[in-house]
Amino acid sequence: MFQLINTFLIGITSGSIYSLMAIALVLVWRSTRVVNFAQAGQALLSTYIGFEFIQRFHSFWIALVLSMIFGALISALVDLVFMRLLFSRNTQGPIAGVAPIIATLGLLGLIRAGIGMVLGSTDANIRPPVSNVGFTISGHTLAFSPLKLLIVSATLVLVLVLSLIFQRTNIGLALRASAYAPEIARLAGVRVDGIRTLGWALAGAAGAAAGMLQTPNGTGALSSDSLEFSLLLVFGFIAAVIGGLESLVGAVIGGLLLGLVLAFVLTYISGSLVFITAFVVLILVLLIRPSGLIGTKRGRRA
Amino acid sequence: MIGMNRRKFLVASAVIATSSLALAGVPAQAFSPHYEVGVTSTTIKLGITLPMSGAASPGYKKIPGGMKAYFDYVNANGGVNGRKITLVVKDDAYTPTSSVQKTNELILKDKVFALVGALGTANNKAVAASVSPARRGIPDLFVNTGYSGFAVKKTYPTTFSLFPSYIMEAKIMAQYIKETYPGKKLGLLYQADDFGRDALAGFKTAGLNFDIKVPYAPLSQGVSGVPATWITKLATAGAQVVVLFGVSSATAAALYAAYVGKFGPKRILGSVGGDATTILGAGVPAPLLNGVETASFIPAPSDTTDEYVKLFQTINTKYNTSAPVDKVFDNNILAGMNTAFITVQAIAAVGRNLTRKGLITAIEKKGTTFASAGLSPMAVSATSHVGYTGYWFGTYDATATIKPNGGVYTVYTTDSGTGAVVKSKYKRPAMPTNGLPTTK
Amino acid sequence: MHKLRHSNIGRLMFFITVGILLFLASNRVDELRVYQGATLAMYVIAISSLILLTGYSGQVSLGHGALLAIGGYSAALAHNYFSFPIWLCFIVAILVAAAAGAVLGTAAARLSGPYLAGTTLALAVGLPSIANQFGFLGGEQGLLFDVGMPPARLGATFSPYKWYFWIAGVTALIAIWSLQNILRSRFGRTWRAVRDNEVAAELVGIHVGKAKTLAFTVSAGLAGLAGALLAMTISTVSPSAFPLALSFSLLTGAVLSGVTSLPGVMIGAVTLVATPEIADAITSRFATSDNVTTNLPGLLVSALLVLVVLLVPNGPAEQVRRIRSRRSASTHR
Repeated sequence: MFQLINTFLIGITSGSIYSLMAIALVLVWRSTRVVNFAQAGQALLSTYIGFEFIQRFHSFWIALVLSMIFGALISALVDLVFMRLLFSRNTQGPIAGVAPIIATLGLLGLIRAGIGMVLGSTDANIRPPVSNVGFTISGHTLAFSPLKLLIVSATLVLVLVLSLIFQRTNIGLALRASAYAPEIARLAGVRVDGIRTLGWALAGAAGAAAGMLQTPNGTGALSSDSLEFSLLLVFGFIAAVIGGLESLVGAVIGGLLLGLVLAFVLTYISGSLVFITAFVVLILVLLIRPSGLIGTKRGRRA
Repeated sequence: MIGMNRRKFLVASAVIATSSLALAGVPAQAFSPHYEVGVTSTTIKLGITLPMSGAASPGYKKIPGGMKAYFDYVNANGGVNGRKITLVVKDDAYTPTSSVQKTNELILKDKVFALVGALGTANNKAVAASVSPARRGIPDLFVNTGYSGFAVKKTYPTTFSLFPSYIMEAKIMAQYIKETYPGKKLGLLYQADDFGRDALAGFKTAGLNFDIKVPYAPLSQGVSGVPATWITKLATAGAQVVVLFGVSSATAAALYAAYVGKFGPKRILGSVGGDATTILGAGVPAPLLNGVETASFIPAPSDTTDEYVKLFQTINTKYNTSAPVDKVFDNNILAGMNTAFITVQAIAAVGRNLTRKGLITAIEKKGTTFASAGLSPMAVSATSHVGYTGYWFGTYDATATIKPNGGVYTVYTTDSGTGAVVKSKYKRPAMPTNGLPTTK
Repeated sequence: MHKLRHSNIGRLMFFITVGILLFLASNRVDELRVYQGATLAMYVIAISSLILLTGYSGQVSLGHGALLAIGGYSAALAHNYFSFPIWLCFIVAILVAAAAGAVLGTAAARLSGPYLAGTTLALAVGLPSIANQFGFLGGEQGLLFDVGMPPARLGATFSPYKWYFWIAGVTALIAIWSLQNILRSRFGRTWRAVRDNEVAAELVGIHVGKAKTLAFTVSAGLAGLAGALLAMTISTVSPSAFPLALSFSLLTGAVLSGVTSLPGVMIGAVTLVATPEIADAITSRFATSDNVTTNLPGLLVSALLVLVVLLVPNGPAEQVRRIRSRRSASTHR
């Protein structure tokens, strides 16, 4: 019984972390139609920055906020310097649709190599701000702790706040308009470019949050060739694709679904099936619904 | 259109052909004909491939620093038979394709005399098959892997193992567990590949049955939530003694997940994943290692009563030129220096007339008498290239310092087959004066 | 029609000439270069496989390494379990990978850009771990794939690497020649039409889904062949020989080659082979820290990739072609 409960809790927690990365990918996709693979590099860089602030201010909370702000700035900068140049030069031609994907992969490599060169020998480590030791109920330890509660609620709060921004504010309206009908939005007086950069900034903050929360939930170590961040990107991306890439709620549903399926397969079938399971879940979802669970049915061309 | 494409293709091919010809223009080095490749009257050049970058590099990337430090120490004291040793280090990022390419560079471009300490099972297999040091007669010394196959002289005539095989380790561990923890419920976490399968085979040969076995896919330790599922399974099964037979990052993830899951059985780490600096470097706080056991075949790196450790620490401080984080003395540096130490012993044993063939014969004939920090005997012979054959068990304290159980190194030895596990009566030969080779 | 046949023969002669030149070159350079030549030939095939997919049918694959792995393992299995001759192993590799490509392509035809990217990425991450699930695939150590020593009549000095180079070089020439012919055929025109405008292609009666699936199948077959060659050069196949980094570097090679131009493929292949050496040369010239040394190759490749995408998005070769056609257009005016 406790194994069942714990498996469920593990799935929810890891699903929340995948969701955070998925949200970041969805935000960029919605604003510029780009799958931002550099997100893993940006998140890693933001988390390193967060680590530096922890050293300075001895407070995880201040560092978390600053890391998200810097994450947003970095992301906005990537859009301003990099994506705009790319789009201004590369609007047509056979690989116009593929070029952004390739460009962000290149950027990912650049960021990682850069971090490796400058911070390769830094012994960086982030300790959890609240206890990560599981709650105990009638002698049984749950796979759930104050830190994991924080992760799950941070994900929910983030998706709620973002949804409110998108649904209820003028900025949100402009964000949606720029994504779906940039020309009309422009005619209506929306500064489409600026709004897109805002989308990137929000994504950068979400990615930074994912990095800052995932790291202390694991062993806490940071390294320039961090396996954890590469896998975070892959699983976050799978979650986003399952959720349909368009919707924030879809990203969370995709993340939780992936997290839960993985946890149950690992516990009850075999511990060695991690990557195969993720692949099978993705293929099954896409075979049934080629544009994800929440994606609209009409075919979207990238 | 067609013509233009073809012209471009032609131009491109011509450019490639000429540039590769130009690049290849370096003539073979003008060594005197009576010296072997990689040897001059005053120098010996050796080469190593291992992951210096990428996910597999933490811990391992400290090894070359230790090796170079010992070689430099020997060089500063007159070298081996008047020759100074240089070590060319190539990063293969743990991909076999890259290991083959880099080993080719070592042999064909850097023209090394011998390979030493190349790391990784798949990597060494690819190198042995494609580069084939054996066909070229190049010694492939003391490969850094526990795959038992490399000790088979028939298959790999110029390759020498050094570490006890994974099978030996599992057999010895099984014996130790049977003696120390009889009647306890046993759990095993292992990597779901042949590293883990070798261990399973060893445990089976030794007749040890686990109440629960949890496999994990290589690299899946980095996926959020995965380590927690291991602990849930082990805890649900009520395991009282848990063997963690995985790579360091998986061991680290499991130790941390056990801590947050308040799961505190007796934990025993396999030697591959049992290195304290790598585990601490992966973010595990030192107190979590308190009471955790692991196995080793060289002395504890903190044991300054050991003459080798004492000397190696001094050498490390003076000669290791790695970045400060990578020169903190630990098991990796100790193992690296020990590999360098045996290599120097072997080269010294050949004498002034240094040839590749001579080196191989010297190790086969005199290998068992070489001085080294290893606490178990070497089993190398003219028919088998087995290295060390034994392990001792120790326990970490809250500062992640390992001490042998019972205060003395109790070494168990065995083989990779069905041979029994026995407590060794081996007495390590005394260290040569100042740890320097005696000139023959 | 007559002219077309003539140019076909001309092309064949051209490829034969290149082959002879390469053969002569292999006698002049040292063994390391010969080995790199074999790797180069492997990259040429792998990159042209991606170029076919991306540049000619507009689909993206982030997991081409997985298709290479399928080819490599098929060749090794065919050789080890059925003792097939080497050329037959290569054909098995092509067929098995093409079959996998057909399955994947059927799914891919339904998926647009990012979904396809996600699926292929997941494939590249997931597939290698399958090797650890089944004993006959040899686990992490992998399988041996030994094509054997060169025939004795080639002489005692004929090294195995030269043999690999010959096999890889001839295979690459045949592969590129066949691919060029396919691209010039009805299929090639269909793929370009689909890439340029799916709706218009559909209007003129092209079955878009079928065209895409076929492109994926042919591309996968080529990737499988490249995988078999890769396996030959390292004489083994193992999961770690096909990391995600391989898929990414192939993509880099394709972009550097100019994804739409087959002739440019040498540029990408040479860059992939040469970058580590250039990085080595830089670090040995300016003795730098370990961190710089280990990260420099990655930095160079990434920087090159970013620069090319930003400055010459359709590849250097394509750029030259455009400038020329612009020039010839202006002279016509």
